Amino acid sequence: TLRLICTTAAVQRKNVGASGPEKYTEAFIKKQIEEFNLGKRHLANMMGEDPETFTQEDIDRAIAYLFPSGLFDKQARPMMKHPTEVFPEQRKIQWGEDGRPFHFLFYTGKQSYYSLMHETYEKFLNVQKHQDQLTAQDLPLQKEKRNLAGSRWLTKIELEEMLLEKLSDDDYSRFIQLLEKLVALPYADMEENYIQKFSKEVPVQLQKVVIEPLQYDEQGVAFSTGEGKRKTARATAVVYDNGTGKITVNGTDILHYFPVLQDREQLLFPFQFLGRIGKHDMVCTVSGGGRSAQAGAIRLASAKALRSFVTEQEVEFMRQAGLLTVDPRVKERKKPGQEGPRRKFTWKKR
Amino acid sequence: RIMPVRWSRYNPSYLEPEVKKESYQKPLEKLTDEEREQKELKAVRPIKAAPPTLSSSVFSDPLISKFTNMMMKSGNKVLARSLMSQTLEAIKRKQLEKYHKAPENEKETIECNPYVIFHQALKNCQPIIGLSNITKGGKTYQVPVPLTDNRKRFLAMKWLITECRENKHRRTMMAEKLSQELLLAFNNEGPVIKKKHVLHKMAEANRAYAHFRWW
Repeated sequence: TLRLICTTAAVQRKNVGASGPEKYTEAFIKKQIEEFNLGKRHLANMMGEDPETFTQEDIDRAIAYLFPSGLFDKQARPMMKHPTEVFPEQRKIQWGEDGRPFHFLFYTGKQSYYSLMHETYEKFLNVQKHQDQLTAQDLPLQKEKRNLAGSRWLTKIELEEMLLEKLSDDDYSRFIQLLEKLVALPYADMEENYIQKFSKEVPVQLQKVVIEPLQYDEQGVAFSTGEGKRKTARATAVVYDNGTGKITVNGTDILHYFPVLQDREQLLFPFQFLGRIGKHDMVCTVSGGGRSAQAGAIRLASAKALRSFVTEQEVEFMRQAGLLTVDPRVKERKKPGQEGPRRKFTWKKR
Repeated sequence: RIMPVRWSRYNPSYLEPEVKKESYQKPLEKLTDEEREQKELKAVRPIKAAPPTLSSSVFSDPLISKFTNMMMKSGNKVLARSLMSQTLEAIKRKQLEKYHKAPENEKETIECNPYVIFHQALKNCQPIIGLSNITKGGKTYQVPVPLTDNRKRFLAMKWLITECRENKHRRTMMAEKLSQELLLAFNNEGPVIKKKHVLHKMAEANRAYAHFRWW
């Protein structure tokens, strides 16, 4: 299975709900809910507050006061939560008293997944039929673009939670492919309600980065600073205006500090991209890393410093050229039982 | 569709950076629909950092960088890059010699730009069809199979490099030998082109087994 390296822990949560058939009966859960509500009222009385307006936060504070615990893990401390949060949602028994299953796809093993696929395909065929009818009447096809920007499909874990069934990666990708096909059709707006069940809003994460204004030194020359890093190298760059294109690194000229052409190319990359090669002077300090890492760090630092000299559109162009993102690639750690990060020990037959 | 990549440190939703300056100076009307969609997507999605081999200068060429990486041994990029630049210099020198010696009417036909020669030579070396081993009923057959663009480019570069490493005299420099091979390939002569033709003939000979392919 593919292990996502770069996602949050929330995405990799195990879906307990789909693990098996019901472990807690419905009556049991109802009883737990009643007990919880009664307990909430008792707690409110104990704390001297109004039982009607006693919220979950109040409960948490009361429990933390009554049962102080020095344990490190928050989930090991005493807690009182609503039973629906404590007992995960699980599938009810799928067959009746005579043993006959309720759903017609029960014997496929993944009944909710296959019924979902059938439904989606039915919608797809409906849209196609509608489209064919309109082409038969020679009406023009309207193409309305769906807003790609702010939405994403449900992740595999979220879909598993919705269906209460375990899915494989293959199943998930097939479902997403079918959804994309449906969305690509011209008249997919008919099924907009259905599609919205499977898409989520992503807050447009442009993260308006505050571009610092230019600073002026004693002679009135404008300058701005930027910091950059790459692997273990850290660099700070100060870019001065009205310059001749001289670049100084740690007190020495770049020709002496970076004998390799590729590194010097990287240093000049932001200036060349903006077309400002002879116009700025740069003084930078860099430490750590190797030859290429230091060059990458200075490139990032200078690109960040140049943002203050340049229009917003050009900043956007720089971002799309990959000049303003921190390179997350670092050396992978060595694992036990292997010789390197990926290389295994020599296999010996005996 | 976004598939999580096993060995990428980036989130799968990160897009590739576009380095060329010209693509940012195109006015809005000239873009096709697909390009417009791409542009909108780029405005919202995060973008990967540009790798150290990529730059917006005139001198950086993706094909040349790929070839340099293939020539590199044990991570010695400095040496590989210097070999590449010496090769291009050698090609330029030879072509200039030819240019100055040629009569007036032929002067226009002689190509002096080493990048153009490199690209054309690689294109001439690319095979159109490849062979793949398919085991059926205990016997392994060589079945003719179509190749993707990436595979064609890779095979052309690989043949060129192996040819230069093995079949050269002990005293000739790699840059010298490479420039000779590239010029021969540019004129559709030379051992690499011969290898390509041999592969094509084998594929033609094994036409009978073409139906073994199931993809």
